[in-house]
Amino acid sequence: MKLGKSWLPAHVLVWTYVVLLVVPLYYFLSSAFKTNEEIFASPFAPPSSLDPGNFSTAFHRADLGLAVVNSGLVTGFSLVLTLALAIPAAFALARSTGRLASALEKVFSLGFLVPTFAALFPTFLLAAATGLFHTRTFMVLFLPATAMPLSVVILVQFMRTVPGEMEEAARIDGASTFAVLRHVYMPMCLPGIATVLLLNFLTFWNEYLYSLVIIGPDPAQRTVQVALPTLKAITGTDYGVLTAGTVLTLVPVWVVYTVLQKRMQRALISGAVKM
Amino acid sequence: MTTLTPTRGGTASRRPVPSPSAPGRVREGGTILAVPALVWYLVFMVGPLAAIFVVAALHWPGMLQPVTFAGLGNVRTVLDDPVFWEAVRNTAVQLAVALPVMIGCAYMLGYYVAQRPPGHRVVRYLLFVPGLISTPAKAMVFYAALSPDGLVNGALTAVGLESLTDAWLASPSTALGALIALDLWSGIGFTAVLFAARLSSVPDEVGEAAQLDGAGHWRTMWRVHFPVIRDYVGVVTMLQFLWTLFGSAQHVLLLTQGGPGASSTTLSFLVYQKAFIAADLGYSQTVGVFLFLTGLVGLLLIRRSFRQNY
Repeated sequence: MKLGKSWLPAHVLVWTYVVLLVVPLYYFLSSAFKTNEEIFASPFAPPSSLDPGNFSTAFHRADLGLAVVNSGLVTGFSLVLTLALAIPAAFALARSTGRLASALEKVFSLGFLVPTFAALFPTFLLAAATGLFHTRTFMVLFLPATAMPLSVVILVQFMRTVPGEMEEAARIDGASTFAVLRHVYMPMCLPGIATVLLLNFLTFWNEYLYSLVIIGPDPAQRTVQVALPTLKAITGTDYGVLTAGTVLTLVPVWVVYTVLQKRMQRALISGAVKM
Repeated sequence: MTTLTPTRGGTASRRPVPSPSAPGRVREGGTILAVPALVWYLVFMVGPLAAIFVVAALHWPGMLQPVTFAGLGNVRTVLDDPVFWEAVRNTAVQLAVALPVMIGCAYMLGYYVAQRPPGHRVVRYLLFVPGLISTPAKAMVFYAALSPDGLVNGALTAVGLESLTDAWLASPSTALGALIALDLWSGIGFTAVLFAARLSSVPDEVGEAAQLDGAGHWRTMWRVHFPVIRDYVGVVTMLQFLWTLFGSAQHVLLLTQGGPGASSTTLSFLVYQKAFIAADLGYSQTVGVFLFLTGLVGLLLIRRSFRQNY
């Protein structure tokens, strides 16, 4: 369709919103290299030097290095466990046609509607009861459960596309059920697995409230999202350090987004609405 | 989007073929492989969710305090508490403002991007950005923007509107507004990309036919495309409703702590605050039950009003 003159207001509005998205990010990036005086005097001016002093201050004051390692560990192990649980489950649900399997699939897809936050306190009790309170281990066990509905539903859709003949051929060659999963289904569902990994990477890395309550404020254990807001209190109003710390926590996500932009956009779109 | 919608035909074409090595049960089933995932899900998600209802019926004034059965006593306490009603009002305002504005703007923005105007790639790339940033990072962005010597006040002073500057997060009249602004700032872009993806799978002919009949873009957008993706809009609205209703606790915790007074306390923050700050666990989970039921009723209402009606 042709976009006529009447689109001028639309262009203006859209680009205003885009500017509103970009300006705070620019402000963050430039402030990370400035002192407080420079920030207040000229908030929008580009930094006069690329001095990484704020970054190292943020790094040390909030123990961000350790926090990044903790976040990496929690995210990594949670992703492995998510796949270990979701792939066999999706495999089972995609292949069977029984009533039980379709009921199970429904249970998982209803899980989208279960707001994780609602059960924060009982989950905290569960952590205390299992003796895993204030440990990263509990988060590694817990996060995959929150990811189960989405992961299973996405993987089932991918596994349904594997033609039955492929399995029959493998069976005739004497393949076991596990071998069918390992050598027929998994290679063919790699895009689905990648989608699940990307989506959950983002959720796990960015998870805040549960990490705060369950892992707690101990610098040796806490994740980067919990460490970040403490900069606000530690530094008072040292915006340079605060923004530098925030920029640091965004780096892993930004790297993944830039490398896998197309795939990540598709993953986010498909992940948001699967009911 | 298109690449990620595999057909559901796969199962239909699969026929059980007898084979000597494996009995039919094994091939058909393997349903047992779904059990670990299910158990995990029940233990860590459904169990705690059910426990909310139990704790709500207890009088539990702190983790190490003795627990007694309270029945509906907590409900009475909650309903008599003015703070609860202020939280109800704040949540209602938040939903009533954020949800329609977000869905309306995001739909129009999505339609705009789907028309592929000049620069739409850049727009699309940037619209995704808030979807990638974690809640604490978003809150830090808003903290830096809205604090007394932050970005907004700096910009206002720079253009000579010093009289309009305010301590946005610390003033009772603007704290809730700041939280709603955060919802909108981060929500519109991401939601718009969802709509754009769905709109681009609507056949071009639909729009072209409307144009031939003399309909402008405004009419085409609302009268032609909107009805086609109506149920999708409903699903996105449901998700945004849940994120706003339950997710606000994190924003409140990071930015205003519910204050000043209770002027920015939302229901989900009240659940958090009573559990982890005030240690009134029965109260907290009673509000939790209320929140959960609100979520359920809201979902049903949204689903009903967006039902495909052609």
